[in-house]
Amino acid sequence: MPKVESSDIMKKKDSQSSNFQFRESEDDYEDYESSGESDAGETESSGHEDLSNTESDDGLEDEDGSEPSEAAEESDSSEDEVAPRNTVGDIPLWFYRDEKHIGYDIAGKKIKKKERESKLDSFLANVDDSRNWAKLYDELEDEEIELTKEEIRHVHRLIQGKAPHGEFDPYAPYVDWFKWDDAKHPLSNAPEPKRRFIPSKWEAKMVLRYIAAIRAGLLKPDEPKEEPNFYLLWGNESTSAERHLSYIPAPKPKLPGHEESYNPSPEFIPTQEEINSYQLMDEEDRPKFIPKSISSLRAIPAYENAVKDSFERCLDLYLCPRVRKKRLNIDPESLKPKLPSRRDLRPYPVTCYLEYRGHKGAVMSISVEASGQWIASGSTDGTIRIWEVETGRCLKVWEFGETVRSVSWNPLPELPILAVSVEQDVFLINTGLGNEEVQKKVKELLSLERPTSQVESGDLPSILSWLQDNKYGGLKLRHFKTVASVEWHRKGDYFSTVMPAGESRAILIHRLSDKLTQRLPFKLRGLPVTSVFHPTRSIFFASTKKNVRVYNLQQQKLIKTLETGLREISSIAVHPAGDNIIVGSKEGKLCWFDMDLSSKPFRILKCHPKDINNVAFHRSYPLFASCSDDCTAYVFHGTVYSDLNQNPLIVPLEILRGHTGSNGRGVLDCKFHPRQPWLFTAGADSHIKLYCH
Amino acid sequence: MEMDGNIEEERRIQARFVTKLKPPFKAPTASIAIPSNLTRLGLSTIVNSLLQAGNPDWESQPFDFLIDGEFVRMSLDQFLLAKGISAEKILEIEYVKVVAPRKEHEPLLHDDWVSAVDGSCSQFILTGCYDGFGRVWKAAGLCTHVLEGHTGPITAVNIVNPEVADGIIMATASKDQTVRLWKVDAEQPTNYPAKVRAFKIMRGHNASVQSVAAQPSGNMICSGSWDCTINLWQIDDSSAEGNLVSTKKRKVKNEVDESLFEGEALSTLVGHKQCVSSVVWPQKDSLYSASSDHSIRQWDVETGKDLLNLFSGKALNCLHVGGESSSLIAAGGSDPILRVWDPRKPGTSAPIYQFSSHNSWISACKWHDKSWYHLLSASYDGKVMLWDLRTAWPLSVIELHEDKVLCADWWKGDSVVSGGVDSKLCISSEISVQ
Repeated sequence: MPKVESSDIMKKKDSQSSNFQFRESEDDYEDYESSGESDAGETESSGHEDLSNTESDDGLEDEDGSEPSEAAEESDSSEDEVAPRNTVGDIPLWFYRDEKHIGYDIAGKKIKKKERESKLDSFLANVDDSRNWAKLYDELEDEEIELTKEEIRHVHRLIQGKAPHGEFDPYAPYVDWFKWDDAKHPLSNAPEPKRRFIPSKWEAKMVLRYIAAIRAGLLKPDEPKEEPNFYLLWGNESTSAERHLSYIPAPKPKLPGHEESYNPSPEFIPTQEEINSYQLMDEEDRPKFIPKSISSLRAIPAYENAVKDSFERCLDLYLCPRVRKKRLNIDPESLKPKLPSRRDLRPYPVTCYLEYRGHKGAVMSISVEASGQWIASGSTDGTIRIWEVETGRCLKVWEFGETVRSVSWNPLPELPILAVSVEQDVFLINTGLGNEEVQKKVKELLSLERPTSQVESGDLPSILSWLQDNKYGGLKLRHFKTVASVEWHRKGDYFSTVMPAGESRAILIHRLSDKLTQRLPFKLRGLPVTSVFHPTRSIFFASTKKNVRVYNLQQQKLIKTLETGLREISSIAVHPAGDNIIVGSKEGKLCWFDMDLSSKPFRILKCHPKDINNVAFHRSYPLFASCSDDCTAYVFHGTVYSDLNQNPLIVPLEILRGHTGSNGRGVLDCKFHPRQPWLFTAGADSHIKLYCH
Repeated sequence: MEMDGNIEEERRIQARFVTKLKPPFKAPTASIAIPSNLTRLGLSTIVNSLLQAGNPDWESQPFDFLIDGEFVRMSLDQFLLAKGISAEKILEIEYVKVVAPRKEHEPLLHDDWVSAVDGSCSQFILTGCYDGFGRVWKAAGLCTHVLEGHTGPITAVNIVNPEVADGIIMATASKDQTVRLWKVDAEQPTNYPAKVRAFKIMRGHNASVQSVAAQPSGNMICSGSWDCTINLWQIDDSSAEGNLVSTKKRKVKNEVDESLFEGEALSTLVGHKQCVSSVVWPQKDSLYSASSDHSIRQWDVETGKDLLNLFSGKALNCLHVGGESSSLIAAGGSDPILRVWDPRKPGTSAPIYQFSSHNSWISACKWHDKSWYHLLSASYDGKVMLWDLRTAWPLSVIELHEDKVLCADWWKGDSVVSGGVDSKLCISSEISVQ
């Protein structure tokens, strides 16, 4: 029943407050007391106060009136427990101080006072009862009330100024029960006021006033704020470069690296030996800074060279003239010559399909028969072999015992004669190919009427002699020095031999049909290397180590000297049309000469890293090749146009590999097949390879 | 569990196995579901088990499989994907016997490189050798006749009339610039090898004769040479026979040389610019030639004009005409690609087939005389390959030689004879070309 009790307390308070109210007019009440009539206070109050008061009194009356009703209700529920209620109303209780009763119950009967406990009893009761402090005495009802715990808590909360009920939360989260988004209709349906659309007159007035004030000088606009004058220390100096047309930015000092760290990684720190070795170095070469490991940033000593360094830097910037480098903005691709695609220049030798094996030493020289059916090779093992081109079968072998330096097949198909140079001898060998008629003719040609024919009766008896050679079935030309190369004239009658050590009689031209020899009637001015006949005219090319001399044999005069600019010429080849020659050199350079153009090389191709051993032109295809000690052979496309205004087209096509080096030599000779775009290469590894398209 | 999953993952194809083979090889034609990832081996196993079901004492043997006229050379699903064939409908797979030699005979040993071989006569093999002798070998591997007379290596041999039972005429070409004709009796001589001398020597070429071929009727032969010409020669059989008789007579008198009857060239076909490396004479009035000048020509024998000029781009070594209605041209040369042209097609400059499994020059190519599809090629890489026009891969590779193979031919329809630089003539037989 806490509710009831609380209301009881309220009642008590009311009664107390009413007590205070009434104390002001205590004297008046005493008058009533004296009259002895105290049952109806209402009438008296109504008599004294105005309407509003009576209203409030009515309220009071209502309150009072509710009390009996409550009591009645309570009595309804629990008649036995609740004592009859005092109905005296809100009057000072001291009115009944001397009476035997304290008031009247609802039936009008006097409520008797209870027997007062003596002070001693009450004290004893206090001592005995621990809950006695929570007891109050209700004078109106003349009874003791014991406050429950809940009531005491209420009291405490009131004292602290909080809400009395413990379950009341003054800071409960606010719940917005209004559903804003669901509102279909605006709260106000008023149309937009006109003032929102027209410019404000008041503002216009104010602006006018401001303008007038600024004009009159009364108002001053704000000065623009000065921006802080910072700049990017490490940024690009492009802006300053734009400012001055000829401005050249100073070279930037080198940025510090890891070794300049105060505590670099150990690999940057030089050992004591290294530091000592610095001392031995020249002042210029000595490193400026020796990395040292310092335990903490605090412990870094002052840099002793700081002033010196910055001074030198300033000196550099001040004294060293700076020049703007002119850079040409050229696409490197555009500098490349426009060459046709290799695919369009087919056929050319690409793949090695056949090998000719059998030699036991490096193959020095090869020569292909005019029809392309046979190939002859000479080797350092002292043998000459003839091979069948399309099967790789070795047909014949001749043993000479000494290094074969050069072999050369007679260019006429009906004369299967091989010219071979072995040390000081040149042999003309009957290969035995061909039918009986051919053999007969060859044998006739290779027979000597006089066994020892003196050459040019007068001046050259000792240097050369034609001999019949029965061992190999041919002729032998005994020279006075080692013969390096043998070359046939296109008609198969003349051939030339070159003796590099022969001095003035180094190059000899022999005639097979007459068995005659004559020396080249020109002074060579250099060590001869090789010689070639012109493919169509009576022109003879003789190359010394430095340049190539071109002679007209009919008119017996020097036509031209081609200055190669090379260190040492190793080989030359003439284009089948005769106007272009290629020269290979020991420094790996290949020179193309256009005879009509100039005596200087038209083009120098630097492709081989090592000596070029031989160069070759193809007889019918626009191909030429070079072979080198780097074990490769290069194949080039070389078109010569009949139009004199058009330069030859030279395109590198293919690098042919496959040979292995031996004793520092690689590919020693290369020859084209006379009819197919095939290339034969002879290697120091004793193999001959055939590269086909 | 995993296994089950895998099996479910596999796609299955409804397939039916058909064949043109004779009854012992006929499998039931009902369609069965087969896994799609099968290769030749798997298919072969299936067919063998099918055959075994019908015939308990069946000996399993390998088969090759054709789908839509093309050989299956990968797994089945890859093949279907590559050819764009639907896997939904029933797949008809034709099976044929594998074309591969199943037996290798003892090689026939020569004294020098074997440069030419002819197997067109089923009774013997004719070989040409670098020692200048032609040899006739019986099937058993014994040399019955030696053709003596050439002074240079023999480059080509040809049996002029293989169908004749007796007195078979042979032609050989040599590097000694002659073509010689020989007559050999088929029966085995008592003391073998019997030495035979040529009954006719054809002189007229100015360089090595590289090839020889006979007219189908057996009346004429043609020869190609390094002098860029093709010569036609008449085989005057009657006079030859008379000559042979005289040979026999004079042999007794040991006057052999006089007996040799020299022949003159009937006509010369000029047009090639380089060595005529190969000639074939498949029809009476037209012959084909291949040359190192990269061209293949067809000649009209009567007029001496070239009817066809195919440009191949490579120097050619060998040529053969055969295949479909004997009109496809197969040629190989100075590169590892065997090319097949069809001259009947308009604008036939491009080959219709290119087989490029070899590694080096091709030295010989021959069509099978019964089959339209099969041809063989020999190469300097030491391999002889059997090809089928229906697949780009070789049917089988015969690697019996240790060095270059110089010549190869079919023999008896089921064997391949090949000779090479290792001086051996190898015979691989039991090749089931149907």
